[in-house]
Amino acid sequence: MLESVMSLMEGFSVAISPMNILYCFIGCFVGMLVGVLPGIGPTEATALLIPLTFGMEPVSAIIMLAGIYYGGMYGGTITSVLINTPGEAASVITCLDGYPLAKQGRAGVALKVAAVGSFVGGLISIIGLALIAPPLAEFALRFGPTEMFALLVFGMSMVVGLMGKSLVRGLVAVFIGLLLALVGMDPVSGRIRYAFGVNQLVSGLDLVTICMGLFGLSEILVGMENLYIHNKTSSVNSSRLEKGEMRPTVMSIIRGSFLGFFMGLIPGTSSAIPALISYSMEKRLSKHPEKFGKGAVEGVAGPETANNSYVGGAMIPLFTLGIPCSPTIAILMGAFMMHGLTPGPTLFIESPIVVWGTIASMFIGNVILLIMNWPLAGAWAKVANIPNKLLYPVVLIIAMLGAYTVSNSLFEIGVMLVFGIIGYVLKKLEIPMAPIVLVYVLSEMIERSLLQSLKINKGFSGLYSSPIALGFLIAAVLILVLSLYAEFRNKKTDFLNDSDG
Amino acid sequence: MEKVRKSYVLFMAVVITALVFAGFSSVSAEFPEHEITIVVPFNAGGASDMTSRIIATGLQEELGQTVLVVNKPGGSGGVGMSEVRASKPDGYTISYIPVEIVMHETLELSDIVIEDFDYIGQMTLVPAALTVPADAPYETVQDFIDYAKEHPGEVTIGNSGAGSIWHIAATLLGEQAGVEFNNIMFDGAAPAVTALMGGHIDAVTVNSGEVLSGVQAGKLKILAIMTEERDPAMPDVPTMVESGFDVIIGGWGALGVPKGTPAEVLEKLSAALEKATATKEFSDFITQRGMIVHYSNTADFAVFIEEQSEFFTNLLSNMELGG
Repeated sequence: MLESVMSLMEGFSVAISPMNILYCFIGCFVGMLVGVLPGIGPTEATALLIPLTFGMEPVSAIIMLAGIYYGGMYGGTITSVLINTPGEAASVITCLDGYPLAKQGRAGVALKVAAVGSFVGGLISIIGLALIAPPLAEFALRFGPTEMFALLVFGMSMVVGLMGKSLVRGLVAVFIGLLLALVGMDPVSGRIRYAFGVNQLVSGLDLVTICMGLFGLSEILVGMENLYIHNKTSSVNSSRLEKGEMRPTVMSIIRGSFLGFFMGLIPGTSSAIPALISYSMEKRLSKHPEKFGKGAVEGVAGPETANNSYVGGAMIPLFTLGIPCSPTIAILMGAFMMHGLTPGPTLFIESPIVVWGTIASMFIGNVILLIMNWPLAGAWAKVANIPNKLLYPVVLIIAMLGAYTVSNSLFEIGVMLVFGIIGYVLKKLEIPMAPIVLVYVLSEMIERSLLQSLKINKGFSGLYSSPIALGFLIAAVLILVLSLYAEFRNKKTDFLNDSDG
Repeated sequence: MEKVRKSYVLFMAVVITALVFAGFSSVSAEFPEHEITIVVPFNAGGASDMTSRIIATGLQEELGQTVLVVNKPGGSGGVGMSEVRASKPDGYTISYIPVEIVMHETLELSDIVIEDFDYIGQMTLVPAALTVPADAPYETVQDFIDYAKEHPGEVTIGNSGAGSIWHIAATLLGEQAGVEFNNIMFDGAAPAVTALMGGHIDAVTVNSGEVLSGVQAGKLKILAIMTEERDPAMPDVPTMVESGFDVIIGGWGALGVPKGTPAEVLEKLSAALEKATATKEFSDFITQRGMIVHYSNTADFAVFIEEQSEFFTNLLSNMELGG
């Protein structure tokens, strides 16, 4: 431990050099920027910038590229909150409560809480990365397909909490999510499902495109109905937490930090998953679950914290074992190799300067991002005051550009438009969107990991012979039973009080 | 005042001369007159994308024109390749061609066939390697096969997806050795390697570059590489053929243009590609990624891809996907 602190100090002496601070700033800034733009995310940005780092010192190159990665997590929040259009996958869930907050004139609160949460989450996960990386990485390796399946089932059991008022509508949403996840190649046999002979559908639908349509575009369509009615709910731009919001927000940030860090360790997860699980968890633990979806500050704080602390967690398997846990990390690994460094246990011994310099720079980068985001939050929040008739065309253009950059094709724009119309219809029918997204993200991975587990173990034996898997499955069943029980009890009282059913 | 006007006249004279010359040169010059685009049919950041980006800088120097790289992912490469196929055959739109092109028809991934393109040439070989945990009880491929024979259908081998080149590699090894493996599909090579390091599966047959850091960390060992000759980057690792199994299989990357591109354009591109693949920058990058630099020209590659098409079509039709 003491040794780690000493090494970290040495790392700071590298990271604090003016050039490295400049590279760190550039990385964070570019990351913020691509986070804001829908479609192009940190993964693409890192890939595009790698060739530019050729002439740089290895440590500076890695510092800059890592900055893009965690900077992107900050930036994605902004469009989610302001225009209900997620900048990247990790911020999809932020739309659910961030946008209602903005509509109430509280965009400043949402953005500031997200910035602070991201900072705390980032900090805690970097401390974890610096102090206890090696034993954690060994533990993470025990997550094979079977354990992964159980973890995802546990995540899926949370969906019950997101269903909203009506169980039937919630189930409709779940099935829509499942149906969407089926499109594309079967993970085991390679058979192509529901592609209807369209090349672009062979690899499935893109999460960000779907969400831009379901959330952003449908919002515009609904808004068009009363474009000329001036019903600004609040002209006050409050950027302070109200009484009673402080405690749950702080708690959700703490929970999100640990959740994201832990999920980052597990190979094969993506930054969207900790955000989704954090959201469901916060809603479950909240004293006022009815506020979720209508502007609950915890609903922004928890997920935004989780997706940032995920980054620090995801660096651990890379640094200690040479395992890339997510697509962006895989590209970062490529950058290491291009500069003649092989990620893995030898990296700490052979080039401690690079490892500790990068870790130290992540501390600095998070401070830079907080400084950039805190005052900006107020400025961004003014976007919410722009009249809709001016705002909507701009949002539409941003969404279309974003959809195009997903795969540089017009096809994605078409997909987004279709999902915009679907979203509009779903809103009219009051079918909740959150379960669609959660189920879509989880079910493809559930299918793959279950089939892998069944093939490896030649049957279901893996599910009860692995203690980790068994633990998660039991927890999932408990959550399901408990929430169904609670649901029925609530329903009884609901029926009595609620005459229009 | 006079001075300012004079310098202005001089400036304009320079500009006009430059423009005239530029105009002349664009009339008289042959290919390439403007920028060239390489379409990568996969996501940014993958091996094929990075290969294309490095080669683009090399081609740019050789051809004296900007070479752009655009990613058009989707459909196992089908989306990007179809788009290039439909573009004008003038040499300005180039596609990265992966080994998977020879399987598209058989696996019904798209309607792309090898005859859709003229080929500028090959750039890389991507060798497959049989890799096991470092503490596994076998030291040679023979040990491994013996073990698999004693435990039929039990030895699990990870690959990067159903019908992927690494899935086919494992199946070919099983066929040649007369054993049946339990193939486990992952979403890419990296998750398969991770599962191997965690002890959830027994072996992987993915590209040697993917297992490099695991080998250096002392967690994995490579039993054999499936190329014709040993990889100069790992001279101690024997080939499958040396180990007594006739298995030569691997991926490759090439560049292609739509069928009907003029021969002189193709020649010029091919010559530029030969020089670009010979640079130190390119070979350093390729070697670090566990691949092998392998240039072959238009004529040689046309023969090679024909053979590959036949080889994989036969193999795939014998192999029941989903097994």
